[in-house]
Amino acid sequence: MGKDGSNVVSNKLQISIYRYRPEHDEAPWMQDLEYETGGRDLMVLDVLEGLREQDPSLSYRRSCREGVCGSDGMNISGRNNLACITPLSQAAPDGRLVLRPLPGLPVVRDLVVDMTMFYRQYESIAPYLINDSPPPAIERLQSPEQRAQLDGLYECILCACCSTSCPSFWWNPERFVGPAGLLQAWRFLADSRDTADEERLAGLEDAFSLFRCHGIQNCVASCPKKLNPTRAIGEIRNQLIKRAV
Amino acid sequence: MADRRPVNLEISTLKLPITAWVSIMHRISGIALFFGSALLLGALYYSLDSEAGYAMVQDFLVDSVLGRLLLWAVLVAAAYHSCAGVRHLLMDIGYGEELESGVRGAQIVLGASAVLALISACWLL
Repeated sequence: MGKDGSNVVSNKLQISIYRYRPEHDEAPWMQDLEYETGGRDLMVLDVLEGLREQDPSLSYRRSCREGVCGSDGMNISGRNNLACITPLSQAAPDGRLVLRPLPGLPVVRDLVVDMTMFYRQYESIAPYLINDSPPPAIERLQSPEQRAQLDGLYECILCACCSTSCPSFWWNPERFVGPAGLLQAWRFLADSRDTADEERLAGLEDAFSLFRCHGIQNCVASCPKKLNPTRAIGEIRNQLIKRAV
Repeated sequence: MADRRPVNLEISTLKLPITAWVSIMHRISGIALFFGSALLLGALYYSLDSEAGYAMVQDFLVDSVLGRLLLWAVLVAAAYHSCAGVRHLLMDIGYGEELESGVRGAQIVLGASAVLALISACWLL
């Protein structure tokens, strides 16, 4: 912290950025760049926008630029996070910033990865309310306590920071649902309006879908929204055990 | 068609939380224990087999520095693997699932196994 309370950021930022343009590059390479920050504690996304003015071929995803849309998840100096809400004082305290795409997913171009496997796993947990009773004339009501069960679950923005930090998902993206999908699986299991608990649990009881989680908590450490997939997975595991005995 | 797109998965570029390191070391200590148990079972077998076998185990494992270092390594692996295993059991019943408590649990595992390693070193070496 500086004397006025602001975060001190070095004027010259050294950036190392992962580049892969399939039409030019045989293999990905790291491009070294410098950036003038003017001493301001910019967000990583601001730096990327500045770099792209100099080199329009630089590719990354972004949309809302305020941590709501989940588009600009990337590996920032070794940790998955959203570029738009990660300040340089956190990402590059020594003036060195390393930007790489989210780990484990195929790279389409530069920092853009193919999220197909991630979405497929999300789809596999049926991320919508299932209720086989006839719909009432008004909404299906919940008590404040029932609604509170969804706090810490519904806030997920599907940025994939958690699942792409998870070794179990790296090695088994086809069979392990991954932290993001499992957090949502628990979000619907925990919902008082959902009646498909039995089917949902049956879909997760094999050796891979959930039980590949070994609780290393990379997901919790990397979630930009401070959610806790490890706890959600523990809750589902308890339900699976109850169901089995 | 094979997917020829690159994948960013250079573990050395990633900064992993202490909880991940504790888990990686749990696996490594497990593998060490697997081979260590073979060593101990072999030693047990030869020591019971004959007087000469007993003397051989005595020479190689008990009276040599290298042998005792090896025994110590097996004990350290057992100590670490047990501590990390108990942490897993506690997590299974819901303790240490938050990031703060998970990190604290990981630190306790490292601390406790360091103490056990020291105690076994005093005893063996």
